[in-house]
Amino acid sequence: MLAVGVDIGNLTTKAVVMNGSKLLASSVIQTLDEADASALSAMNKAFEFAGEEPAVKKLVVTTGAGGKEVSFADRSKAITTCLARGISWCKPGIRLVIDIGAESSTVVKMNGRGRVVDWANHDKCASGTGLFLQQMARLMKLSFEEMSELSREASQGAEISGTCAVFAESEVISHVHRVPPTPMPDIILGIYLSVSTRIKSMCKRVGMENPLAISGGVALHEGFVQNLEKEIGEPIYVPENPVCIAAIGAAILAGEEINKDALK
Amino acid sequence: MNNLQQQNAPSSLEVFHVVNQTFPETAEIREWRNKGNKVYGWLCTYVPEEIIHAAGILPIRITGYDRETELVDSDAYLYTNNCSFSRSCLQMGLAGEYKFLDGVVGGSTCDGARRLFDLWRQYIGTPFYHVLTVPRKYTDSALRLYLAEVEQFKAHLEEHLGVSITDEALTASIELYNQTRSLLKELYNLRKLPQPSITGAQVMEVTDACFRMPKERFNVHLSALLEELKESTVTYSGRARLMLSGSVLANPDFIGAIEEQGGLVVADELCTSTRYWGDMVDNSGKEPPLAALARRYLNNYPCARMFPSEERFSRIVQTAKDHHVDGVISEIIRYCVPYAHDLPLLTDRLKEADIPVLSIDLEYGSSGSGQIATRVQAFLEMIEAKKNG
Amino acid sequence: MVEKGSNKIQSIIRACRIILRMVEVDPNARESQKKYYRMLLQYFTRLRDAQENGQFIAAHTVFFPSEIILAMDLVPMHTETTTWMISLFTGECSDILAAGVREGMATEICAPHRGMTGAFANGSIPKPDVMLWSNMVCDNTAKSGELVMDICDCPGYFLDRPFKNSDLEKAYFADEVRDMIAFLETQSGKKMDYNRLSEIAETTNRQINLTREINELRKNVPSPFSPLGFLELLTIDYLFPGQPESVDYLETLKKELTQAVAEKKGAVPNERFRLMTLFIPPMYLMAFLDRLSRESGAVSVIEPFFTFWGEGNLDPSKPVEAVAEKSYMIPEARMYGPLGNTALETMKQCVLDWKVDGAVFYADVGCRHSCATIKLFKDTLADVDVPMLTIDCDVVDQTVTTEEEVTEKMERFFELLEDR
Repeated sequence: MLAVGVDIGNLTTKAVVMNGSKLLASSVIQTLDEADASALSAMNKAFEFAGEEPAVKKLVVTTGAGGKEVSFADRSKAITTCLARGISWCKPGIRLVIDIGAESSTVVKMNGRGRVVDWANHDKCASGTGLFLQQMARLMKLSFEEMSELSREASQGAEISGTCAVFAESEVISHVHRVPPTPMPDIILGIYLSVSTRIKSMCKRVGMENPLAISGGVALHEGFVQNLEKEIGEPIYVPENPVCIAAIGAAILAGEEINKDALK
Repeated sequence: MNNLQQQNAPSSLEVFHVVNQTFPETAEIREWRNKGNKVYGWLCTYVPEEIIHAAGILPIRITGYDRETELVDSDAYLYTNNCSFSRSCLQMGLAGEYKFLDGVVGGSTCDGARRLFDLWRQYIGTPFYHVLTVPRKYTDSALRLYLAEVEQFKAHLEEHLGVSITDEALTASIELYNQTRSLLKELYNLRKLPQPSITGAQVMEVTDACFRMPKERFNVHLSALLEELKESTVTYSGRARLMLSGSVLANPDFIGAIEEQGGLVVADELCTSTRYWGDMVDNSGKEPPLAALARRYLNNYPCARMFPSEERFSRIVQTAKDHHVDGVISEIIRYCVPYAHDLPLLTDRLKEADIPVLSIDLEYGSSGSGQIATRVQAFLEMIEAKKNG
Repeated sequence: MVEKGSNKIQSIIRACRIILRMVEVDPNARESQKKYYRMLLQYFTRLRDAQENGQFIAAHTVFFPSEIILAMDLVPMHTETTTWMISLFTGECSDILAAGVREGMATEICAPHRGMTGAFANGSIPKPDVMLWSNMVCDNTAKSGELVMDICDCPGYFLDRPFKNSDLEKAYFADEVRDMIAFLETQSGKKMDYNRLSEIAETTNRQINLTREINELRKNVPSPFSPLGFLELLTIDYLFPGQPESVDYLETLKKELTQAVAEKKGAVPNERFRLMTLFIPPMYLMAFLDRLSRESGAVSVIEPFFTFWGEGNLDPSKPVEAVAEKSYMIPEARMYGPLGNTALETMKQCVLDWKVDGAVFYADVGCRHSCATIKLFKDTLADVDVPMLTIDCDVVDQTVTTEEEVTEKMERFFELLEDR
């Protein structure tokens, strides 16, 4: 029996297929209008990559914003539980994972066994999320790679409001149009700092503990991750497949359930 | 201070400026400690500082960072809905910047302060720790309770230090502090003039330094400043004469930003200014020194926590009149509850006295730029229009 | 005063009547629940009719010794509870909150106080004959009186409740109470009946003892008292301190819980999570939280700062001192005064005695002094291996958090507890 984990997020849906402790395949698609359709599509794509038939025996655990709406799910689990399981599988011993998703950011603290001990999240607005960084990138017409490159040349982070993405956007615009204009690297560093500050706040709320890890699309944004490491003062582990961590965790939970049933 | 102010600033102001810039790593504090002496931090104008002084300890005020700054650690402990002043103080404490303190003393004055002290005790830990109960009324009964608290504080200090704080020592300390108050009063009287020789921002440098250095030194420096000002030909005038009132504020740049626009700040009513040094202690011997201290501290220029609020309001109106003020800028830190509650009634009182009020809410350490500057501009224009009929 | 609000007292009464009718025909409802709603109905009806009946209304803030008002046969109006009830029974507070802002109150001022000021200003609640308030338990309470006096054009008295639990401070507080009694006598033209006050002290003792006994019963696994039933325990002391109705309610409740324990019948069908509740859940989410609790098998078994009384009893032979003493015995007294190790040890002991699995902290965005304990309590509970969930909310303002957000947080928390 295969273990399947599906994370139905607001923008993307991720699916992971495991057989025992072996990760067979993962997939990422754009979330569709219906949760069922999204989950099915992502799952089938993952099966395709794994060389498995969609009709194979499986146990499906879903998570994410659309997790509860998937009719064929055997179980749906909270994203926090999945993130903890997922990152612990990638690198056992991680105690804190920072998940910066498209529309929300979450910090999950776990014990040595990958069990959630506490969490803090921010989902009231765009600041401190992947959406914010994307908005800024679009505003400055840069890719994440370009942003990362430029940020290394920064001498000082430009002052940018840490609390509101809407204000931040107008502040970035005024930095660009200033006479003389604020150097691009400094603006980028300022943007990074405003996100890092929010992440730091969440870490302090749960109580900092290491080793730390990062997950979510923003983990691939090298320049930002380096800045976050500097601000927190600890190295941050970046997993191989950062976007799929919650889906991996869901698959792990599916595997645990399969084993439990097998013992009965 | 803006550039103009800095250029024309009296030279004797420099020493205060240095203290504020280097605090808490000031030369005076280092020198004091190198001699093996102790330093206690205190918070709130209801802590009778003279007692600490009489015990041979240097009292310095816990004020947090003067500028707006990142408060991530204290946000986690005090939570973001406690005023940024209490969070700034706790942040400095958590960052170890007050590590050198041998004791901390506070009063049960407001929620932010009392929780600051609760958390300080749990997470920072200073060898000596004391919180005084401060009643909220001015009645005889309240004074009796406060005196008992003051006596208990003195006894606790004596026990901890293994010293005896004599009436003579207290009288001497009171004498010294009264001198400070008297000198500051002289300084403030200069601001009543139509064209004062000192700006509001410059005065804040002085008042800030006052609670950050030994009073003995401070009095000498302030006397020198007053001498220099007597001879000075520099004068300041503005588009309007303003009074600053509200929550604790210690950043001279905030006042500088107002003055840069032409609003000369000729009076203020703040925890760090008149509510601190305001009244004298009656040292005539009518009452024993502790009783005199208790009477003075309880009845001093009131904090918004005291009841009835009319005591504070009437003093503010009187100060505004004495200093010929055209308008009042009320600055209240977000989540500074006692002052926020007072504002509607205070505004009415000032309106009755035909004094307009600009109400600003801000964070502790604000530099007064941006939105705030815009609103000050509009306020000044409104006052000018009123003056021109 | 800008616009006239609708009479919210009438809305509360109407809602109470409806709920009472439902409870009366519900076979699963407790007899004590019926008594509780009858008490609420009685309280607000008396308030509504007071002016018409020429009775003297004394408005007062929370944790205020309203026994004084009752002993003088005046009509009390508990301002915060009234605001809570408006939120609870009408689910809607935005008009009175907006009215509070129009009176000049900053939005950071906690919603119950903004709301009550706004409610006075726009006529949603009747104007009192006097405003009474104290500094228990925070600055908002301490500062709310003068503006209300101004808006309602009525006299007022501020009761200064000192900070530490010492004989000297209690004596000061007792003197304050005496002074206030004199003030009330002058204002109302009625005399304090000290015999009645003594009786109230005695009845308060019974009330406290019964509450303690009820809490003992809640130690049982499964716990017999409904998930959010503790709100009834709070409210009866706020509205009927030392009154025979409270004792009647508590005796009935005690009988019910004793029976439930004998039958090993839990309040929720499948008790999975025994929770410690810190502070008060949002009023407008009560029905929702009750449902969620039942569905998840969660029940609040102890609330150290709301239902766990301090030690000792009152001395009825000294009624004024008894009033002062009570102020130091109420569960919330631990939140005022230096928050030292005693309060923290009490929390930890509660965890052990009530077999608590997890704690839920309702972090009211307007309540500064309670939010400043979030990390402290979390760390304290971590010492006894109890995780704590923090829910950012507001006790009456429904715009601060939603059912969806709360559901998501609770579900994550329950999963966390199960996973252990």
